[in-house]
Amino acid sequence: MSARLLLVEDNELNRDMLSRRLRRAGFETLIAEDGEKALARITEERPDLVLLDMNLPLVDGWTVCQRVKSDSAVADIPIIALTAHAMAADRDKALAAGCDDYATKPIDFPALLDKINALISP
Amino acid sequence: MSLRRRLTLSLFTILVLFAINVGTHFWGSYARSESMVAYRQAVSAGQLSGELGKQLEDQRQKILVLSTLRENTDDRLGDGDRASALEGIRATRGTLEALGGMVSDVTALQYQRLQESSNRLLQSWEGFYERYNDDAWQGDIDDPIPYLETSQRLKELEQRQAFIAVQRANIIDRTIALTDRITVLGFIASIFLTATLGFFLVRYTNDNLKRLKRGTQRLGEGDLDFRISDINDDGELGDLANAFNRMSDKLRRAIDEEKEAKQSADEANAAKSRFLANVSHELRTPLNAIIGYSEMLHDELDDDEPVDRGQFQTDLDKIVLSGRQLLALIDDILDLSKIETGKMQLAMEHFKPGEVLTMTVDALAPVLRRNGNTLRCDDFSGLPEIYNDAVKFRQIMVNLLSNAAKFTDNGLIEVKAQQDEASGDLIVEVSDSGIGMTEDQQAQVFEVFVQADDSTSHLYGGSGLGLAICRDFCELMGGSISVASTPGEGSRFSVRLPVAPASVPADA
Repeated sequence: MSARLLLVEDNELNRDMLSRRLRRAGFETLIAEDGEKALARITEERPDLVLLDMNLPLVDGWTVCQRVKSDSAVADIPIIALTAHAMAADRDKALAAGCDDYATKPIDFPALLDKINALISP
Repeated sequence: MSLRRRLTLSLFTILVLFAINVGTHFWGSYARSESMVAYRQAVSAGQLSGELGKQLEDQRQKILVLSTLRENTDDRLGDGDRASALEGIRATRGTLEALGGMVSDVTALQYQRLQESSNRLLQSWEGFYERYNDDAWQGDIDDPIPYLETSQRLKELEQRQAFIAVQRANIIDRTIALTDRITVLGFIASIFLTATLGFFLVRYTNDNLKRLKRGTQRLGEGDLDFRISDINDDGELGDLANAFNRMSDKLRRAIDEEKEAKQSADEANAAKSRFLANVSHELRTPLNAIIGYSEMLHDELDDDEPVDRGQFQTDLDKIVLSGRQLLALIDDILDLSKIETGKMQLAMEHFKPGEVLTMTVDALAPVLRRNGNTLRCDDFSGLPEIYNDAVKFRQIMVNLLSNAAKFTDNGLIEVKAQQDEASGDLIVEVSDSGIGMTEDQQAQVFEVFVQADDSTSHLYGGSGLGLAICRDFCELMGGSISVASTPGEGSRFSVRLPVAPASVPADA
């Protein structure tokens, strides 16, 4: 049974590209365009892992991450932060917010797959 | 009063007191010696008077004896005896004359009287001796009146001389007492003045130096606002205190300026860092799509499955679109960088803004009519020719029109242009009935990497550089740009450009 991922990404092209590549890599991929939808899908569908863009409209990635990690029902779901911010401080900020890992855009896809697999197969 | 003036004045006063003392001493010496001379003279004159009195008395005795002898014995006087008697009278005259040599103004009257009566007496005595051996000699010499008168006169002179001697002695005493008193007073005054001067000088100098010391300490401890107050001295120490205060002011200003400079440098640095971080972010977003789609297409070609040519083409278009976005972004960043470093130059030419506007609107018409928007345009044929940078004018219009299209759904986009009657400037307005902005958003909308809302860029895309470039271009071209907007109702951007710039840049 393939793992279910939730991809949260507001940029249409990046969402389209990344979701297709993840499906090609064998993952069942759910999609959310903003923070509100992401929170709804996480609680409703309990994906195995969340790929979370941090710069989101309405509710940003940091808030999404904090809410997930403070909700005991879903706190165990691993989150990988995706951002175009490449500074070390951004990485620390994401990890401090509760993200389990961090990937910088442009995404190194094979490295991202390694990170996903490391987090979903205990 | 200044320290130097106080010192000078005090020293001068001491010198004057000293001079008075010395002058008093010399005057006292002079007065004493003068009185002493007069005193000695008076004493000598007294001695001489006594001698004269004695001579007169001896001779009278002698004459009385001779007179008695002549009456009773009829003896004659020898020539030798007579000559010696006359010689005695001459000596007495000499004594009288010597006494005359010692006469002063105050004894002149007494002496004159003495001289008159003495001369008469001596004359009668001479006559006595000359007629002594005459047969017809009569003892007329018994008359005692002339002698008593002369004795009386001599006594008066002696009394007068004694009185003067006592007077002189008194004067000497008084002079000595006076000079002593003046000397002692001057000495005491000098000591008192010196002590007072020293005391005040020390206290005054101490006070001022203490205040300076306190100020220096406070300043040294970092209290830059400390100033020496109550400077009640217009001399050197006051100057020093004022100089200290001026130095403190300058120090305070210099440190403030330094702080400000550092702060603005820090702010500029922080702004640069933010700008770089934003640029990095903006470049990575399209790059992510380009690399991601390329890798994906590559993978698809490697698969054994048949390629969906339609999908493949669409994906390639997305790569191209992202590439163009990236290029536009890089161009914008380069433009801003050029403007910021002052290297952006204007390519001045005469052109018709109406034509540029028409072409731009036509080119962007598909974008402007997207999302159910209506496009309305003025007739631009009546606009005047202007002398400016046509390429930048076009770029401003493209940015404003793209913006209007981006933020408007099922609304109206309107482009108006006219020549301002009062100033002759060209005014172009781009209005939309889009989402609009609050006043705070309007205030920042022309800043770099600022979009009305942090979430705006996610909903509507765009780098946040377009309006900053529009503002910089307008200012570079001698014009201005402004915005009027109401949230939910739309925005209106107005560009104002001169028909010919007042000051044409050097490279034009």
